[in-house]
Amino acid sequence: MQLVGMERAGTASVLTARGSGLVTCRQCTRVWPMATEICGRCGTKLRSRDDLSMQKVWAWWLTGVIAYVPANLYPMLETRALFDTQDSTIVGGAVDLLLHGAPVVALVILIASVLIPVGKFLAIAYLAVTVGRRAQTRNADRHKLFEFVEFIGRWSMIDVFVVAILSSLVQLSSLATIKPGPASLAFAISVIATMISAQSFDSRMIWDTGFPPKAPQA
Amino acid sequence: MTHTPPPAPTRPARRSIWERFSFVWIIPIASLLIAFGAAAQVWLDRGPLIEIAFEDASGVRAGDTELRYKDVAVGAVEDVRFSDGLDQVIVAVRLSKEIAPFVDEDANFWVIRPEVTTQGISGLDTVLSGVFIEGNWDNLASGMVATHDGLAAAPVLRAGQEGIGIRLRAGDGVSLVEGTPILFKGLVVGRVGIPTLDASASAAEANAIVFAPYDKLISSATRFWDTSGFTFSIGAAGATLDFSSMAALLSGGVTFDTIVSGGKAVSDGDQFEIFTTESAARASLFSAGEGELLNLTVIFDENVSGLAPGAPVELDGLRIGEVATLTGLVDAERFGDEAVRLLATIAIGPARLGLNSDDPDAPLQFFVDRVADGLRARLASASILTGGLKIELVTIEGVARAALDVVAEPYPVLPTTQSDISDVSASAEGVFQRINDLPVEQLIASAIGFLDTATALAADEDLRRLPDEALALLGDARGLVTSDETQALPAQFSTLLQELTAASADMRAVVASVREADAVARLLGAIDAAQVAMGSLEASVEGVPGLVEQLDAVAQKANALPVDDLVAQLSETAVSLEAFLTADGTKNLPASLSSALGEMEAALAELREGGAVTNVNRALQSAGDAAEALEQATGSLPDLVARLNALVRNANAAVAGYDSRSDFGRSAREALREIERAADAVASLARALERRPNSVILGR
Repeated sequence: MQLVGMERAGTASVLTARGSGLVTCRQCTRVWPMATEICGRCGTKLRSRDDLSMQKVWAWWLTGVIAYVPANLYPMLETRALFDTQDSTIVGGAVDLLLHGAPVVALVILIASVLIPVGKFLAIAYLAVTVGRRAQTRNADRHKLFEFVEFIGRWSMIDVFVVAILSSLVQLSSLATIKPGPASLAFAISVIATMISAQSFDSRMIWDTGFPPKAPQA
Repeated sequence: MTHTPPPAPTRPARRSIWERFSFVWIIPIASLLIAFGAAAQVWLDRGPLIEIAFEDASGVRAGDTELRYKDVAVGAVEDVRFSDGLDQVIVAVRLSKEIAPFVDEDANFWVIRPEVTTQGISGLDTVLSGVFIEGNWDNLASGMVATHDGLAAAPVLRAGQEGIGIRLRAGDGVSLVEGTPILFKGLVVGRVGIPTLDASASAAEANAIVFAPYDKLISSATRFWDTSGFTFSIGAAGATLDFSSMAALLSGGVTFDTIVSGGKAVSDGDQFEIFTTESAARASLFSAGEGELLNLTVIFDENVSGLAPGAPVELDGLRIGEVATLTGLVDAERFGDEAVRLLATIAIGPARLGLNSDDPDAPLQFFVDRVADGLRARLASASILTGGLKIELVTIEGVARAALDVVAEPYPVLPTTQSDISDVSASAEGVFQRINDLPVEQLIASAIGFLDTATALAADEDLRRLPDEALALLGDARGLVTSDETQALPAQFSTLLQELTAASADMRAVVASVREADAVARLLGAIDAAQVAMGSLEASVEGVPGLVEQLDAVAQKANALPVDDLVAQLSETAVSLEAFLTADGTKNLPASLSSALGEMEAALAELREGGAVTNVNRALQSAGDAAEALEQATGSLPDLVARLNALVRNANAAVAGYDSRSDFGRSAREALREIERAADAVASLARALERRPNSVILGR
């Protein structure tokens, strides 16, 4: 209790299950001794920490970043109206909208397609870099950040959905057609990779700061 | 109590590398590989960049405009910028890799735009798709050249297309238009390129291509002429309307023909003249190789219009040259007067004379000799329609000696002789001159005077009164009938009849004597005499119109009398007429006639008794003739009656004009009625005589 009180004071680390020589089942939350491999209640394989979590995070994160480059360089939409073909990238389209007097829509597109993905990259990278270290921010705030990244991940596909809906709706043969550009695929891949990256993050590691695993008592 | 958890199992110190590294790393590595692979693929597949300099790159857009070869896209414009001097547009085109080696030095590039010309509409597809750059190169891969100069328009001869390139030169009257088809017997066998002015700016020149295999048609004897538009000319040969086809009329065209065989083969770049007309082109064929022209001066004393530069110079009907220049000449010192003379410089092609010798003086010597033989220049009519003149060189026998003035400047002077322009135009001129000389003005003045007089005459009051006077004359004539002498006529008639009665009595005596002595001839003679008497009676009746004329003056006078007097006279006349009708003589007339007829009947009875029936018949024949004569005499009685009637009507009308209540009117009407009655009596008499003329004879 005292330790917990110290953690609440915000300066020291909290007592974790791992720190107490225990391992939790993530399915049924039953706590078992550290050496237990299979949950005696629900049969789930028990692991105190996912050792390869950070590798997965970085691998998916890198994939997301790689995919995000063509997603911004190639056109997201190919709009063909009568005789004019217009290819617009994400940022280019937003700038066009801004210049044509639709700043709100431009802002929405910029937030959904640029700010959120880039913020996710930065957030995951920050979490991954600072995990296991005594960071400036409190562990609780980092956990909140992680939860926010996970929450926002499902909305990141909104661009892809808009493209998919538009291209299936606007098919007026020769008059006007909208086709998804190569960027839409890359953007989808980027979003998926980022989501997997966030899910791969073992959030328990946030709390491991400063508390090496307690050595088994001799 | 306290439940101590079992100690956590310790992990082995080192795990295998597969355990320490997540397989997930494959994904970013794979994606990187894919990305790099794709980039490398694109990079490797990317063709070289060439730069094409255009004067004008309207419609060319970076990233949009394609480069096409045979209408297949083989590249795309990547960049459009200006050259350093801003005088050209540099278009950077990314070529496709496999086509690049063919884009060598000979490659041509031009921009295809929609065009509407007289040759048709082209590049219509670019209206929708935007312009594109068309490239053209041969099929030999001889290394890529990175910089090119673009053409302003499509080249005439596409690479790979065979043909011969010639240079066409158009003087005045021929318009060279880019893209004009070169036609041969209606087929398009070539095209004219972009025309430019030659160095001296005196003619337009254009490169032109005649495609294979038609290039074989071109030889040095080929002549080109313009078939665009139409030519209408009135010249020495009459009126000519010349156009090749409606299509050529609209779009223009150049055609050619190799008129004679034996021309030399031509090579690329040979120059040909475009003539305005086919005839000029054909004519030029014979002027080819004329060699140096021989210029001569001819001075004509008469300055006759109709001679123009270009007019033919003929020697014995053969055209050997043309008039080069014309000018007037006043040279009092040389000719002794101030008259303007016609100085013509004629250019003679010695080749046309067959003087093809190498001696340059030969043509001149030819003319020196011929002039010594009497060769003279004279003006002659070339066309009777246009009055165009030509210069004829004719040999005149026995002409005064003259020589070709070889030393004259600038050209030798050829002596002249009397012109031969006595043609239709000159005659027509004479006719017109004579018409001009006619005193038309005087004639018209006289005619106008005559018409004025006639108008005045027609307007004359006297003339207008003429019809009135004619009417008056008729009235006078009618008045005549009422005259005393006419009234006396029946009395005379009665007297005549009495005499006839007497004559019948005599005749009876004669018949009696005939009866004694069978002198039928005498009877006949007597009847003849009676006939003559009848004739004279007829003549006397015929003489009435003469009498009428004589009485005209009297009637006029009577007409001039006051109306009262006239009416009084009329009344008197009526009274006297009545008196006449009631006179014994008139009353006795039938009696006398009856007695005369009775006498005649007695005579006839005696004749009957005499038994000479044939004689009687003949006598009757004579009597018939006499009756006929009488009939004719009575025939004029109806006229008399008609006139009397008319008179009565007139008089009636005249009387009606007066107040019917006056005494005069009443008496006049009575008089008129009397006259009417008299007329009726005469009419009945006449009708009786008409009906039965023999009643005169027979007394019935």
